[in-house]
Amino acid sequence: MSQGLGHSLKPLTNFVKAEGADPLFQVGDIVKISMRFPVGHYRVPTYIRGKRARVEAVVEPAAINNEDEGFGRNAGVKRHYYRVAIPLSELWPRYAGSKNDGLRIEVFETWLERS
Amino acid sequence: MSSHANAHTPAPDTGDAVPGYYEVMETAVRELLVEKKVIGAGEIRQMLEVMDTRTPALGSKIVARAWVDPEFRARLLANGRATLEELGIDFFEDTQLIVLENTDSVHNLVVCTLCSCYPREILGLPPDWYKMKPYRARAVKEPRAVLAEFGTFIPDDVEIRVSDSTAMIRFLVLPQRPKGTEGSTEEQLAALVTRDSMIGVVRASNPEMKEKSR
Amino acid sequence: MTQTENLVKRLPTEMGGLDAGPVQRTEHEYAPWEKRCHALANLLDIHKIVSTEEKRRGVEALGQEMVEKLTYYERWIVAFANILFQKQILTPEELAKKMEEVAARHGGPKDINTKSVAG
Repeated sequence: MSQGLGHSLKPLTNFVKAEGADPLFQVGDIVKISMRFPVGHYRVPTYIRGKRARVEAVVEPAAINNEDEGFGRNAGVKRHYYRVAIPLSELWPRYAGSKNDGLRIEVFETWLERS
Repeated sequence: MSSHANAHTPAPDTGDAVPGYYEVMETAVRELLVEKKVIGAGEIRQMLEVMDTRTPALGSKIVARAWVDPEFRARLLANGRATLEELGIDFFEDTQLIVLENTDSVHNLVVCTLCSCYPREILGLPPDWYKMKPYRARAVKEPRAVLAEFGTFIPDDVEIRVSDSTAMIRFLVLPQRPKGTEGSTEEQLAALVTRDSMIGVVRASNPEMKEKSR
Repeated sequence: MTQTENLVKRLPTEMGGLDAGPVQRTEHEYAPWEKRCHALANLLDIHKIVSTEEKRRGVEALGQEMVEKLTYYERWIVAFANILFQKQILTPEELAKKMEEVAARHGGPKDINTKSVAG
């Protein structure tokens, strides 16, 4: 059957996306920041490691891991960063402010686990 | 000790002052890179000119425009960088810009605990205190106490959001429009928007305040 | 068990959550060389020679003492020197000789009245 202008293309069914192309997490997901201690360079502050967070936004487009970028890498597999929210009362045991006060921070996908 | 330039030598960069060790290093690195054609001879000067056009006044204009123009405000909040690029404000780094809106229920402030990330393409170079330990250590841990040091008191029923810039996103706080400015021109409004209000450590100034505090 | 691993685990530039005193609202007029240093950083990033992230890592690699004792742009220029050496764009010898030459223009080892046409 011929297809003229105005007919939409059928979705490709045998199409495989590159690794990392689709975000692993969505807005609203509860994730856990990994607990690990890289030598030499990191972009995930110590104070959030091991904490649970809520995904507020998926940052587009996927990008290079900035920790690898620190050593000159500017190509390779791209993944997503996520803007996540963590209540300050969960970060600091003696937090004296409002229970609604929170941190917002961008974290690379390889530092996040499903919680 | 002073050096006296004559017509046949380029004026010393430091005028009459003897450059310190690090200035000598900077000059040497720069000259070597130009000699090796890693950077062009005029590029530093051009970049300095670009940098000089980025000052808090630019940010103030953007905020004032957002206060008077709801459609601009909506576009700015939806995609900060794209909206500003439409105005001709180019970004020389591969960064995004999120504009954080302060409301009656949310107050935003911005910090970089790992280094000194700052929306330089809009606000220019950051103040020293933004780059030093007390602010960077305490803004994420006790923001209300830090704000109090700036004379800013946020009621307990207002949520404080601290954005710690660690990746490619930069933040500009859109402060609330002060009361009593319904009849103000955009220029008058811009004069109320200080650099510190766009970092989020103070509110925008009230119209009756004669001196703009930075 | 080593007691020094905390020095390795925590970068000297990381400040979040540390105990600290009041914010000192210091500001200073940037010196011309500091602005030039910032312009250099922008150019190296734009030309994809040294990325902003590489510069950050270079500053971290200066170690605790230099991070504490050098000022902001002093840290940058030393970090840039090291990174440019690692990338084989400059050599330590070249930089040392050029620094001597630059210093001499302003009354260093050479006679201040012996003017060479500077490059």
